Amino acid sequence: MDVRSWIRVGIIAGIVTIFLALVGLIGRFVDLNLVGEQVTFARLVLIAAPLVAGYAVTRPRIRAGERRALAPRDAIMAGAVSGATAGLVFGIAVVAADAFGIDRIRSVFLNVSQPLIDFVTFGQPPVVGAVILTAVSAVAGGLAAGLRVTPIAVRRPITTAVSAVLVLGFLQRIIPIALDQLNFERDWLYSRSIGGLTWLGAILVAGVAAGLSVLNARKGRDLRARLFSTREESTGVAPAQLGLALVLVAVLVAVPWVVGEVISQVLGTVLIYVLLGIGLNIVVGYAGLLDLGYVFFYAVGAYSTALLTGAALNTFTGSGPPAVSLDLNFYLAIPIVLVIAACAGLLIGAPVLRLRGDYLALVTLGLGEMVTVLVRSPWLVPLVGGPNGMRGVSDAAVAGFGFREPQHFYYLALGFVLLAIFVSWRLSASRIGRAWTAMREDEQTAEAMGVNTTRFKLLAFAMGGAIGSLGGSMFAVQIGSLTPQSFEVTVSILVLGLVILGGLGSLPGVVVGALVLVGLPGLLREFEEYRGLAYGAALVAVMILRPQGLVPNVRRSRELQEEERAQDEWALEKEADVAVVEGIST
Amino acid sequence: MGTSPAGVAGVRMRGFERLPWRRIILVVLGIAIVLVVGIGAWKTLSLNGAEGGYSGAAWRDFVVEGVSQGAIYAMIALGYSLVYGILRMINFAHGEVFMAGAFGSYFFADAYEKSGFLDRDPVLALLIITGVAIAVSVGTAALLERLAYRPLRHAPRLVPLITAIGASLFLQNVFRGFFGPQPYGYPKPHILTGGTTILGVAMTRVQLLVIVVAVLSMVALQLFVARTTTGRSMRAVAQDSEIASLMGINVDRVIVITFVIGGILAGIAGVLFSLTFGQVQFTMGFRPGIAAFTAAVLGGIGSIGGAALGGFLIGLLRAVGPPLILTGFGIPSVFSVRDAFVFLVLVLVLVFRPGGLLGSGEAEKV
Repeated sequence: MDVRSWIRVGIIAGIVTIFLALVGLIGRFVDLNLVGEQVTFARLVLIAAPLVAGYAVTRPRIRAGERRALAPRDAIMAGAVSGATAGLVFGIAVVAADAFGIDRIRSVFLNVSQPLIDFVTFGQPPVVGAVILTAVSAVAGGLAAGLRVTPIAVRRPITTAVSAVLVLGFLQRIIPIALDQLNFERDWLYSRSIGGLTWLGAILVAGVAAGLSVLNARKGRDLRARLFSTREESTGVAPAQLGLALVLVAVLVAVPWVVGEVISQVLGTVLIYVLLGIGLNIVVGYAGLLDLGYVFFYAVGAYSTALLTGAALNTFTGSGPPAVSLDLNFYLAIPIVLVIAACAGLLIGAPVLRLRGDYLALVTLGLGEMVTVLVRSPWLVPLVGGPNGMRGVSDAAVAGFGFREPQHFYYLALGFVLLAIFVSWRLSASRIGRAWTAMREDEQTAEAMGVNTTRFKLLAFAMGGAIGSLGGSMFAVQIGSLTPQSFEVTVSILVLGLVILGGLGSLPGVVVGALVLVGLPGLLREFEEYRGLAYGAALVAVMILRPQGLVPNVRRSRELQEEERAQDEWALEKEADVAVVEGIST
Repeated sequence: MGTSPAGVAGVRMRGFERLPWRRIILVVLGIAIVLVVGIGAWKTLSLNGAEGGYSGAAWRDFVVEGVSQGAIYAMIALGYSLVYGILRMINFAHGEVFMAGAFGSYFFADAYEKSGFLDRDPVLALLIITGVAIAVSVGTAALLERLAYRPLRHAPRLVPLITAIGASLFLQNVFRGFFGPQPYGYPKPHILTGGTTILGVAMTRVQLLVIVVAVLSMVALQLFVARTTTGRSMRAVAQDSEIASLMGINVDRVIVITFVIGGILAGIAGVLFSLTFGQVQFTMGFRPGIAAFTAAVLGGIGSIGGAALGGFLIGLLRAVGPPLILTGFGIPSVFSVRDAFVFLVLVLVLVFRPGGLLGSGEAEKV
């Protein structure tokens, strides 16, 4: 019974809600319906912090080395108190804001508006609204706490069902298009008038998800064992594995025609970032060299592809030829681009070899920024067009079949991604990969064991740079024209973010990271503005809560396991700190 | 690559590698840079006004501008340097601490301008504005330390750096979310418009204010660290935090104080920067942050005098370097590559003298 800590967590949650309102995550999404007209994104955000608070305060505590869960009644109580405190804090803020004058606040904080106040007070006078807010938040906190203390057999289907409904609700711009494309009747699932799921659809989805979850709990282990059995145990390829592979290939091939042109465009961009991620993963994940200037290779790839395939400069009067250029076939140009990028990697790598990790990061950041400044400076206009850029990049046509169409481009990019994945996978399993691992874990010991660190660092830079430049080439083909705006430091940070989010050194992690960080924002246009906010919060939260990433590298997580167990215990001791972080990261 | 064949070829390979390639490359690179700088400067100075050269007055202006910019960089650089000295981490989000202060103070400055208070009593108004900037910057820095860095105190070195990058992105976007992406015009009190002449050197009043305030605050910081008990405990933690805590120093408290001091300086710098350039925007922290970091490294990160020296040097290099070196080669609009110049200096310093000018020759290797 630690009422003070419940209240403290509640106050933090209340402040987080105020923050979310000020950033505009509530007021701008009042009309974003997820299920029916009742479950809107804004309402979800309003109760998100109390939910998290209720969940966080019921975290089992370690007392004298023993893990103790709270009794269900205490837990619900704790959650309700936290939630109520959060609602109260936010309610008081709303009342104070109303008394102070909405317009006066609005002249500073752009997102505070009368509709926002009306929304959060449920159309009532502020004081009444604050009371309702407190009650609603208390219920939310209590529910979250109650969920935590229910047995896992009940909890898992519920959470699966709720998340499935929410995810489908968010994908309201994508799934209906795909269904229309396939000529499926979809009005029972997604409403045309309100946007989100219908209640009928939501209930069906929840039922299916809960059923699958139960099934998974009963039979899942057996199935997974058959699908992912390790090579030592089975001889040859098991039929189940072969089936899985065939299904995967069929899905990959069919995707662009199922989802339509708009989503194929987004998928193409995702694949470009997967390429960049695979390249950076070699440098950061395998070799442990933090590179903050990866946009350098992206730019090298894009501009050298453009120059080699006969693109023209944009000028005020039309177009002109660049100072140096060739008019090669795209597939002849690609090897040259790779060699150029690998040499650029060596050039960058050579002088910075002796630098310690964080200094290396800043040198690469500096180099990346130099490229951005130079590409747009008037100085390089004769070569790359300066701020006006270039146009007329090859569309990589094979026998008249061009790849600029989003649905065609998907296949070209997919081909290069598969190639890069193969190369990267074989590299990581080779002697080179092991040398990188050794170097990453302890450079001096690796050197003492006979690993030539100079050589392997350079190799990592060259390989990573070459694969990254492929991403740049793909981008040039996809867009057909280049402007300096595409080559900013944000690209470096974004790629680093997706590699870290997915899990350093993990190839599936790169794909997941790219889908989450590039695919989702590309599909959910409404949230475009909150991209940076989400990346930043995700980077901090991943580093603090789950440094191994979403899909960790197997070997690496085995290496880290011992350490992590120690870390977990340490984290539990400092649960108050983590609770704060959880509140922030929502 | 890793599988060089054994035997004669392997032996020859090893002999080949024993040549100090790194040193040779560095020496060649160094000579090339000296040549480029020397020839560029000589060519520029031999130009006359008609050929695009600069007059003596123009050079004086460049220098004054550089010193006043450098004073601001020096104040931001101190924040990097102090934190690095104590935690051995690069607080990448420090540029955003600076931005936060500038942005926070804007709303007060704007209100005071509209009410006429800014011109009626400029000294008091500027003091209040600076106080607000300091409060916002200090709050941001302290929150950053508490929420993002403290849970990672004993994590491997790159983890806090990545966290700091995330925090930097997050803070930028928080301000964008609160106040929108557009730049706001920062008002300037009437008393600060126009120019003045000090010791025969013409400068704007803002530049004079910037230099005076920056020098005063750096002197104050130096006295604080050198003379007070808290300053002594900061130095103790910087030397060895474990031993310091055994001696009864509250290390957590010292770390918070360090972030607070960095925040104070960044807040003041934020006001000075906004007065100089007349606008604030959520992205304004990034480039000055990098320039200041470069300054801290150039001077020798972890040392107060070094950060101050580095700041002024970077300001001068940025203002004088591009016209001096690049104009001679006939490169158009040399000022657009100023920031690239700073990054180049950053790279060169880290490559040739990672310990900085006042530090030891080479930084520790691991």
